[in-house]
Amino acid sequence: MPRTATEALTVHGRSGVRRRGTARDRLGSIPFLLPAVALVGLMLLVPFVATAYQSLTDDNGFTSSFIGFENYARLFADPMFGQSVLNTLMWTVGTLVLPVGIGLIVAVFTSQMPGGRWVRIAFVLPYALSGTATAVIWGFILRGDGALNQAITFFGGTPAASGWLIEWPMNTIVMILANTWQATGVAVILFLVGLQAIPGETVEAATLDGASGIRLFWHIIVPQLRPVTVVVIGMSIANSLRVFDMIWLLTKGGPGGSSETLAVTMYRETFILSDYGYGAAVAVILSIIVVGVSWAYLRQQFKAK
Amino acid sequence: MRSNSRTFRRIGAVGAAVALTVGLAACTQGSSSGGSGDDGKTVTLNGERADFEHGYELAGEALQEITGYQLEARNVPSTENYQQIVRSSLKTNSTTDIIKWWNGYRLQELARTGGLADLSDAWDTAVDEGWVNPDTRDSFSYDGKVYGLPMYKSYWVMFYNKTVFDEVGISPPTTWEEFESNNAKLKEAGVTPLFATQEAGWTSLIWFEELLSKIDPEFYQDLMEGEEKYTDPVVHEAMELWSDMAGKGWFTSPDTAWDNEPSLFASGSVAQVPMGTWRNGLFSQDLDEGDYGTYMLPTVKEGVKPSVVVESGVISVADNAPNAEGAQAIMADWLNPDVQKPWADEIKDTSANPMVETDDPVLMSTLEQVQDAEPMELVRYWEAGPPALVETGVQYLGAFMADPTPENIDPTLQKLQDLADAEWASWEESE
Repeated sequence: MPRTATEALTVHGRSGVRRRGTARDRLGSIPFLLPAVALVGLMLLVPFVATAYQSLTDDNGFTSSFIGFENYARLFADPMFGQSVLNTLMWTVGTLVLPVGIGLIVAVFTSQMPGGRWVRIAFVLPYALSGTATAVIWGFILRGDGALNQAITFFGGTPAASGWLIEWPMNTIVMILANTWQATGVAVILFLVGLQAIPGETVEAATLDGASGIRLFWHIIVPQLRPVTVVVIGMSIANSLRVFDMIWLLTKGGPGGSSETLAVTMYRETFILSDYGYGAAVAVILSIIVVGVSWAYLRQQFKAK
Repeated sequence: MRSNSRTFRRIGAVGAAVALTVGLAACTQGSSSGGSGDDGKTVTLNGERADFEHGYELAGEALQEITGYQLEARNVPSTENYQQIVRSSLKTNSTTDIIKWWNGYRLQELARTGGLADLSDAWDTAVDEGWVNPDTRDSFSYDGKVYGLPMYKSYWVMFYNKTVFDEVGISPPTTWEEFESNNAKLKEAGVTPLFATQEAGWTSLIWFEELLSKIDPEFYQDLMEGEEKYTDPVVHEAMELWSDMAGKGWFTSPDTAWDNEPSLFASGSVAQVPMGTWRNGLFSQDLDEGDYGTYMLPTVKEGVKPSVVVESGVISVADNAPNAEGAQAIMADWLNPDVQKPWADEIKDTSANPMVETDDPVLMSTLEQVQDAEPMELVRYWEAGPPALVETGVQYLGAFMADPTPENIDPTLQKLQDLADAEWASWEESE
């Protein structure tokens, strides 16, 4: 089967040669690795093991006694935990679809359209804000007496009596949108970098083969953006699973725990209810989910490659 | 070769993911803070009220004159962070000598861990001198010993904006009917009659305790002690009243920012704010003393005993205090009128020492009203039960504020009762 010009270019571009060191070289590299390994071990692995142990104890911050897997049993019987997992899932899907999708579209369109960089700035700028500042701004907008309801009233509408941050699932949805406003910027930047890395020849070759418009975008541009997409999606998954600041500042996970995610549950159990063991159990579950999902995702991506 | 590099990449990727999440997990580990001056003449204090800073300075000056020890105060502005710091440092030697805490069950929770020093001597001295009301001893004790001294005594009353009341042509109510007709008139005039929010978490308890205690104060007390049930018709009546008031649009939106309360009150967009007198210091910054006042919320029915919710922050000494001697000396004179006068004047709240009079006109009028009414003094919901019960209880009440319909009353009360059953059992188990 004859190869198209595009395929030929793509295949050629990917072949690379990696040098494999001898056993001696590898031994020699150990001293260079030690500082990093020691740092990671000390700052990350030790606390993790301590947290895992803490999750097997009944710990109120002062006294602690070993209780085995009781915290986990309580966790799975707690309806609030189910709500928390559901919200976390909503966040994950929401941040996968919105910032990544919008980021890709904005990057592709603004890279070609005249004056695109100004449009791009509007999307990228919020990324420079901290999560806390974003939450405060959106608090001004979304509260019952906030800017959004004032605007609705000004234009003759009647704001929903239920408010934006009060009822589930509306509170979780608007917070995901608020997060999208902030998180899209980084996706735009990364996709732009990816777009610039696509060799002009590939696109030219595709055009020669007769591709244009949606077809060109979907079959040529998107596959070429794959390495970047892996990074963007991987980051989105991790970020969505640990989202905390936005929720804590806008609703404190409430009312009644309705907008809590796992990270918020962990914080509330540990620092508000002073149930350190239970909080640690949530932390361990969250860690398992994040590591599991990231590992599965990245593994699948590398395999597909 | 290929598979090798893939393995490395895989390890790298998993490593990155582990690193990221392990960092997260590590967040639940505590951190400590504290330390004491090394000259032996400095006593350190940790608290969570940044607005007390100047008050600590003034009280510290007075204390230094009397005891020779210098008070060095620091603040952690977030209540949650503050509690966490105290919990993780109290039993280590990096604790401050003195900590600010809360009375009632919150103090008991801390005292029963053995982290607090016995202050019974300081208490007895204060009682002998007439510096403190001996009847309040229970709310500062655990197992017969005193573990905290009161920092202030706050009364929960209704603050009202006089300018708005004059414009609408109403005056502070003396009966529940007047209270309701005032609210109706305010609403008609386009002013939100009452402040309410669940935004800060704990604030959902305010209307619950106010309405319940104004229906039946004794029942409120028994409910707090775990002797009555949330599913009782009395609680139902209070919730119905709450639901009815919400339905009439008398409250601010339940997601109103708690920090905006003083400005909403000062600007007159909200006419009345049910609040402890500890907030008076903030109100007085935005309003002249003639522009606002307080009244005691009337009982819902005639013949019900008048009541007022009271609250006292406490200061306690860590059992591990680096400067235990200095801390005890400070405690022995904390309630001394010479210390309490500048302290109470600065924080614009009532001193726990009955001999200390206030010069704040709003506070003076509040105290007069309380004296005239001779109300039953009730412990605030926040301090009146096991902390885990209260913390989750306010969440359920907050959820009710978000959906204050009559249909939501029974499910809410059932949840509260289930919670009370579980948390009382767990509290007693830890005894």
